[in-house]
Amino acid sequence: MENELLNIKNNAVSLILDAKEKSELEEIKLQFLGRSGNLTSLIKGISKLPEEKRKEIGMLANEVKQTIEEAIDRQAVSLSKQTTTARREKIDITNPSIHPPLGHRHLITQAIEEITEIFEKIGFNRVRYPEVEWDWYVFEALNFPKNHPARDDWETFFIDEKEHPKYGSMVLAPHTSGGQIREMERIKPPIRMLNIAKAYRRQSDASHTAMFHQFETLFIAENVSISYLKGVLDYFTRSFFGEKREARIRPYHFEFTEPSFEVDVTCGVCMGKGCKLCKEGWLEMGGAGMVHPDVLKAGGIDPKKYSGFASGWGVERVLMMREGLNIDDLRLIYSNNLDFLEQF
Amino acid sequence: MNIKILDSWLREFVITKAKPEELAEKFSLTSVSVERMEKYGDDFIYNIEVTTNRPDLMSIQGLAREASAILPEFGTDARLTLKDITKPTPKGNETIEIQNDPKLVNRICAAILEVKIGDSPKEIKDRLEASGIRSLNNLIDVTNYVMREIGHPCHVFDYDRLTTKKLIIRESRAGEEIVTLDGKRHRLSGGDIVADNGKGEIVDLLGVMGTANSVVTDKTRRILFFLDNNDQHRIRKTSMNLGIRSEAAVLNEKGVDPELAKKALLRGIELYENEARGKLISKIIDIYPNIPKERTVSVSEEKIKKIIGDVDLQKSEKILERLGFQTKIESGKISAIVPSFRLNDISIEEDLIEEIARVYGYFKINPVVPPVTNVPLFNLSKNPFYFETRVKNALKYWGFTEVYTYSMVSEELFEGLPRDGLKIANPLSEDLLYMRRTLVPSLLEVIKQNPSRDQIKVFELSNVYDKREGDLPKETQKLAGVIKGSTSFFHIKGIVEALFGDLGIKNVNFVKREDGGIGADVCIGKELVGDIEVLEENILDFELDFEKILKHVSLAKKYSPVAKYPPIVEDLETIIDNDFLTKEVIDEIKKIDPVIAEVVLLDQYENKRTFHIVYQDPNRNLSNEDASRIRGKIISMLKEKFGAFL
Repeated sequence: MENELLNIKNNAVSLILDAKEKSELEEIKLQFLGRSGNLTSLIKGISKLPEEKRKEIGMLANEVKQTIEEAIDRQAVSLSKQTTTARREKIDITNPSIHPPLGHRHLITQAIEEITEIFEKIGFNRVRYPEVEWDWYVFEALNFPKNHPARDDWETFFIDEKEHPKYGSMVLAPHTSGGQIREMERIKPPIRMLNIAKAYRRQSDASHTAMFHQFETLFIAENVSISYLKGVLDYFTRSFFGEKREARIRPYHFEFTEPSFEVDVTCGVCMGKGCKLCKEGWLEMGGAGMVHPDVLKAGGIDPKKYSGFASGWGVERVLMMREGLNIDDLRLIYSNNLDFLEQF
Repeated sequence: MNIKILDSWLREFVITKAKPEELAEKFSLTSVSVERMEKYGDDFIYNIEVTTNRPDLMSIQGLAREASAILPEFGTDARLTLKDITKPTPKGNETIEIQNDPKLVNRICAAILEVKIGDSPKEIKDRLEASGIRSLNNLIDVTNYVMREIGHPCHVFDYDRLTTKKLIIRESRAGEEIVTLDGKRHRLSGGDIVADNGKGEIVDLLGVMGTANSVVTDKTRRILFFLDNNDQHRIRKTSMNLGIRSEAAVLNEKGVDPELAKKALLRGIELYENEARGKLISKIIDIYPNIPKERTVSVSEEKIKKIIGDVDLQKSEKILERLGFQTKIESGKISAIVPSFRLNDISIEEDLIEEIARVYGYFKINPVVPPVTNVPLFNLSKNPFYFETRVKNALKYWGFTEVYTYSMVSEELFEGLPRDGLKIANPLSEDLLYMRRTLVPSLLEVIKQNPSRDQIKVFELSNVYDKREGDLPKETQKLAGVIKGSTSFFHIKGIVEALFGDLGIKNVNFVKREDGGIGADVCIGKELVGDIEVLEENILDFELDFEKILKHVSLAKKYSPVAKYPPIVEDLETIIDNDFLTKEVIDEIKKIDPVIAEVVLLDQYENKRTFHIVYQDPNRNLSNEDASRIRGKIISMLKEKFGAFL
């Protein structure tokens, strides 16, 4: 019996070392260790041996079994190494790949998504309001005087429909600020609105498109100060443009805010030193201000109890300012030239 | 509006040690933005953007006053040095009759002078040219010089060409024609402010541009120097209607302080005397029907502290004083009389807050991100923006490129009857005339505009606009896509199904299109949510109502136990008449027995259809006998209901 066991061991090991494929190893395993394999049937015979021999032979059989198993494992590992090496040698990794399908989301979508995330982190809630609006929401309630140039038909698109007895003429929203009034009608303070939508102005040249996008913030609560406005502007500019860019506010004029500010960001090209692309180191980002008491009133909010700030900026503008894309004609963004769109 | 001025000219009226760079920076931070600074010999030119509420800063003297108000806040001394001009004595008694209409003109100041036409001296030329104004001759140059220095536009007539010695201020009538001094002919639309010579002839388009028939020439010997302070809204209308954007018009439409008119007149006379050997030969005419009413505005210490922070009343009062307000502090409040040149701009407490805050310096205010309190609950599955992003991402990773096309379309691209469309009353072009009701035509334009591409997949998620009587249009978000190239109805159907699957929408049905076109209507349950169109063999599209889709989306997770017992799988070949739809056949097979877990069409060739059927019982092992029993039932049903051969 001892000899038989040793024979089996030698036999198996030499077969294992000769094996070239994993499948061969499987066969060998079956042949020796399988249910009716050589070793298995031999082990079954141990019980028939005399008592004193059983233990010794049993131990030997175990050892043989272990040796065979280990040899199979070792050979399996070495075989798999060989095959990988063989494959590696055969692959020309510079050959063209097989892509999964990959399209492109529009430049503006990507910007809107990022802007939304930035403001949501500090508790602003994204909303969207009509693109076709009444004069009331985009002008009258926002404190625009009747004769304001923005209200004449050189700047704003008018819709050829009857005037509303209360809300006036129908226009294409020239900005997202009408959302301020809509939001005040929808909820009570505290209000933390982020309104991102399409806006339309009667202008089309290299730096203007008749349709564009704006993002508008509105924050109304008790005791809202210029300090809060500056905090939010600073947070946004440094999140969106990077920590190294700075924001400043300087006096400006809008009908629906008082005080009104223009927000500048340091130029990304000269980093504030002053160059051809900027104005003495600064780029204008857009407007902001403390909500005018007449606007709060128009939205049904008591200006004695509440104050607020608002800002409204162009999505296209902040994007161009950050990326330094140097798109010489903004109309390209809405031109639907796939060679352009596929760059992003 | 922008103004360019020379540093040396400014310093004629304000004395300060502040260097030009410093001045520019302080202006930008606390007043109006100095957009650029250029060197000009030993001098500097400031190019300043003045906001429309501050026409008082469209002048050297206005800016000098502003500088004297803002610099002390930075610890730099600045002293305003405006001189009064004494009224000259007339040396003649020429007269002209002026009939004003107070509805049109607030104030007219005028004087008649004898002059000698010639070139202006170098200093005046330099100052004007640095300001971006072309020097013409001393008579014209004085008007521009006065406008720059004082901020009130002025005009000069050839007095001898005003043959009737009469000016009647009136509204123009529609259709009247004039030739402006630049030689251009204009047809007036009515309501413009004009001066009539009493014979029905127009001799000036007030506040906008002079007319050729009364303007000075090389031969001019006597002039009428004329300052008109006009109704700003009429000026805007005239200027925009005629496309004349002269500096005078741009300034006048913002509202110029009528108090400046007299100062400007006297300064002009002084300049004519010095630069054109001018001699005043008439009394000074001053017709002033609309004297602005004085206004007092007050602001409380509490409000100042709430909005700006730690600025006290005394400091605030000083700031307002330097800006030209007459102030008084009483019981925790400043009451301030608004200077005439700020009457258009300052009327409420918040206006004073702005004045105080900006001069104090916005940059001194500490930025604080407001604490997030009273946060409303957030519900992801009710957030439309989340699903927009999800759908856009899915399409992107299926190879689609997103486009944004204009919401306005041409009549040709507008789907539906023009009378059902919202039309733009003042379009920029015929291409942007109607608010669109569908997206696909715009996407097909994209295909057209990229003719060199064989394979295109584009999509857009945007609003369409449906007219409603007496109300704003219904704006509905639509999701549309177009594929050009090797594709088929089943590719688009697959995209729609996969999209709905990703949004957790079950029960999607494709039915024959109501309009009979090639393709399918897409329904959720029985609700129509969009359609698929086969336009050409290689151009297909889909357009879905995203708003309706959002009503059905679900993020709900449902667990069913993983099957413990193996399935039995088999393929069943059938011959069934093509009039029967695959869906009908599959639905009937599924009804036969609950252990039929899945039935799909594996293959179809003419009328041969192979169905792939999976039998699985969650509670026990199915035997081959079980499967063959159910198969028997299926076969007899197929024969009976669909006349199938097997």
